[in-house]
This record gives sequence, structure tokens and C-alpha cells, in this order.
Amino acid sequence: MILLSGVVVLGVLSSLRFQSAGWPRFLTTGLHRNLALMTLVFLALHIVAAVVDPFTHLGWLTAVLPFSSYYRTLWLGLGTIAFELFAAIVVTSLLRGVIGPAAWRAIHWLAYASWPIAVIHGFGTGTDAWSIWFLALSVFCIGAVAVAVAYRLLQPHPDPLSSARSEFRAGVSRKPNP
Amino acid sequence: MSDLRLLSGPDLRSGSESHADHVRRLGAPALAGRPLVEALVRSGLTGRGGASFPAGLKWRAMAAASKGAAVVIANGAEGEPQSGKDRLLMATRPHLILDGAFIAARTLRASQVVIYIGEEHGAAWTAMVRALAERPEFERRIARMAGAPHRYVAGESSAAVHLVDAGVATPTTTPPQPHQRGVGGAPTLVQNVETLAHVALIARYGDEWYRSAGRRGAAGTILITLAGGVKTRGVLEVEAGTTVAEAVAMGGGPSEPAAAVLIGGYFGSWVKAVDAWALPLDAAALRAGGLSLGCGVVGVLPASRCGVCDTARIMRYLAEESSAQCGPCFFGLRALSDACSRIAERGTNRDDMARLKKWAVEVPGRGACKHPDGAVTFLRSALSTFSDQFESHSAHWRQQQPA
Repeated sequence: MILLSGVVVLGVLSSLRFQSAGWPRFLTTGLHRNLALMTLVFLALHIVAAVVDPFTHLGWLTAVLPFSSYYRTLWLGLGTIAFELFAAIVVTSLLRGVIGPAAWRAIHWLAYASWPIAVIHGFGTGTDAWSIWFLALSVFCIGAVAVAVAYRLLQPHPDPLSSARSEFRAGVSRKPNP
Repeated sequence: MSDLRLLSGPDLRSGSESHADHVRRLGAPALAGRPLVEALVRSGLTGRGGASFPAGLKWRAMAAASKGAAVVIANGAEGEPQSGKDRLLMATRPHLILDGAFIAARTLRASQVVIYIGEEHGAAWTAMVRALAERPEFERRIARMAGAPHRYVAGESSAAVHLVDAGVATPTTTPPQPHQRGVGGAPTLVQNVETLAHVALIARYGDEWYRSAGRRGAAGTILITLAGGVKTRGVLEVEAGTTVAEAVAMGGGPSEPAAAVLIGGYFGSWVKAVDAWALPLDAAALRAGGLSLGCGVVGVLPASRCGVCDTARIMRYLAEESSAQCGPCFFGLRALSDACSRIAERGTNRDDMARLKKWAVEVPGRGACKHPDGAVTFLRSALSTFSDQFESHSAHWRQQQPA
């Protein structure tokens, strides 16, 4: 959860194009990408560990097909969905050159679905869900994402390229001659 | 000497030549189809819009790809501020251009011909509209006019395709090149109007005739525009391979002692005057020397003007002409232009000099089109040609027109 929240926070911040002399912009995006890949590794461990756990007998189908588990059907199903959304985001990011920026961007919006579903999954089925340390961690992660998103929403659109492009395109657009 | 082929015929000041006069003077084109494509390849004719791509090779690729729905765009956008040759040709010899465009349509089995003209070129537009109305019905039926917005990138070939396709004159990512996938996905020949006019003559007289002009191993004739510090500015037709000194002499010589010459327009290169005079105006020869003929502009910088200030002014222009589609172009050229302007306005400083040298390496090759590459080619030539002035520029900013 810490990793995934870190990825989301960095992703939100990268759209703000924050930079300073000691922190050039590519650091934000680079950290965002590496953290996401690391999250995928730990997530794979988490899933494999849950599947091979002899206590629940979840089976591999549960890992890919939502709500197919007899055990905590809803909560595990949410975990599966969050994982699949996340996997879709990572795969499309790796294939961005192939699928094009528009499709990539559209799918990247799924991050705003994946993260909360994962958090709910944690509360629903986490065996330590209501322990003090887990609650504290959750409050911290949710708070961090909330602050980042709120900060992003309060900022005016910070992309000079985008506004210059719209202006330029408006200037060179002509109705085709009949 | 300045009206050899394209510009021969009636006095240019008498305006556009009518279709009747044109046919009476030159007769009908004889060559078309495959023999013409091969004649173009042998002729060595290169594109005159700026890239100097061999026309014959483009036509050959087009002919192979065309399935009867190809498109021909006659490119008369001429967004290069110092160039005037395309609009002069359109205004005076419109039927040479139309001949070339319709020969292309027949040869490449095109179903559409678009005459793409800079909106600010009023006389050229009027002449081309009038000329088109004089053409036979089967040609008029497939042809139409399109206006190119008054922006530097509007003449770029993918921008021309984008305008015809979607009404927006911004460059798009290549490849695929327009001759592979252009208007509506069909192979599209985007060819400068001067190139098409040469085609019209090669279709009449053949490639051997084309090569019979030209000096110092070069073939054919080229239209050039003399700009800046020459006694008579304007368009000349010269044999390819004519030296810069000879061309400037045809314009009455330099108006005062020259410091440098900008060859090829704003995507071209500055060359110190002493080195420039002997350069032959020929695409292949210039390329061998790391230069380019571009659209044929020869801009003379008088010694009384400041090369650093003119460079800063042109860099500002090119940065503002970025279509803001690619970050490295939009931000990169703006940063380079700002550094140039600071040096021009406030004098040399080590930080900006270091930035110019560093960023000039990082920007090229990172845009969808060649706009950043062209601007950086220009800048790097300025840094080497005016290296002394850049190192010791004092704080002044001369409000003067670019050379």
C-alpha cells in the first residue's frame, strides 16, 4: 500500500511539472516509473503467496477472475480488480510507443480506480485491518494521496505547451475548401 | 542570364502568361508515365522546397504505391521570410506549374490535385486561380486551391497534407512520409512549385536537355532569391553550380563590404563572406560541404551589421514559429532563443554561451518534423561563423531587419 500510494502521489505530482535546481522534472517521472515496477514485483509476491497458502486454497483462477473465490468473495474480488487495473496500466505504459499517447493516457486514468479499490481490498480482507499500526499507515497513505490530488486540482493547468499548441492550431486551422 | 528557362518568355513585369501564350511558346509536353519518371531520375532534379530530395526517386516510389487514388499537392506555401522565388513563379508562369502538377497526376494516377498557396501571396493566388480556369475541363475537375496559413511550418509537407486532410496546417509525425501515406491515407506527392515547373520542361525537352545547363558538374537551373546587402534584391534564375559571388554580381554586387552570407534561408547556414563567394549554388555540392541549398536564399550580411543580433532575431522568429506540438522544439528553441537574446541585449556571458553549446546538441532529432533540427543547424553555423562576436558581444541590440 505504501508503494502503490507513493506511485500515485508521484504520478499526480508529475502532472504539476514541479521542478527546482536540485530536483529536475525527470526525477519525478523516473521515480514514479521505478516505484511502479517495484510495486508490481511486490504485488506479484503478494498474489503468489496468497495463492500457494495452503490455508485458503484460493487457486490460480482467483488471481485473475474477480469474485471467483468461495472465500471472502467480495474483498478478494476487489483485490483482483485492483491488480488487473494496475497490470493494464503498467503494460500499456511499457507499450506506449505502440498504442500511442491518447490510448495510454485514457488507460492511465484507471489509476484513480485501481488505488482506492486496492485500499478497500486491504480494509476488507486484511487480517490486521483494524490494528493501530495498519490504521496509522492507511491514514498516512490516504492522506498523502488526498493532499496530492487536492493540490493538483487547485493548481491552474500548468502546461504552457498545451495552451501554446491550442493557440497555434487555432491560428492555422482552415475550413477545407468545398 | 537571369531568365534562362523557367523565367524565359515574356517580360516578367507583364504579369502571368496566359494558357494560349504558354502553349504557343512551349507546345505540349511529350513525355509522361514511366519514361518521364526515369527521365526525372536521370536528370538529377531535386526538390526546391528546401530538403533537396531527388524528385525522380519520390515519383518512382509514388508510382509504385499509387493505386489510382493518389493525390498531388503543388506546394507554393513559401513560408520562408526571405524567399520570393515561388510566388514570382506562380505570379508569372502559372501554367508551367500546372503542367507539372497535371503531368504528375497522370503519371502517378492521381485523382486529386491541390494547389497549396500561401494566403499572403495575393498576386500568386490570383494568377493561379486565373490560370486554373483556363485549363481543360478534365484537369479543372480534379483540381482545387487551398490556402496555406502564414506560418513557417505550414509549407512542411506533412503540414500541407494535414491541412488538406483536416484543415490544420501543423506537421504530423513522419514516417510514414506523405508519399507513402498522405491525404486520406493515399500516397501523396507534395512537390514544390518550382520543382513542378522544371518537370514541365523536362517532359518537353528531356533529361539530357535539363543537364545541358549547369556549371562545375552541376545540372539544370535554379531559382534563387538574393536578400540583404546586395544592390538589387530579388529572384534570379541561375545555372546550378553558379558561385555565390557570381550570383551576387548578377544582383549588382554587395551594397557594401560583406561580413557573411546566409545560404539556404533560416534553416540554412551562415558562412563567412570570404569562404562563401566561391561556393557553388548546387544542392549536392553544398551538402558535401555540410551546407544546404534549402529554398535557394542567398542572404548577404553587410559588415556594418551585427551577426549576433541578426542571429538572435532569427532564432526568436523560429522559436515563435514552433507549432508547440513537441516539447523539445517548443521549450528547446525558446530556451536557445532566450539565451541568444540575452547575449545580444546584455552582452556575452559565460553561462549563456555554455547553454547554447550544450542545448544545441540536445534539441535536434526530437521533433515530429525537422523544425528544431533546421533551427539548430542555423544556430550552430552562427556560433562558428560569428564565434569571435559571440565571445565578445557588447550590450547592444540593433533594431534592424534580418539580412
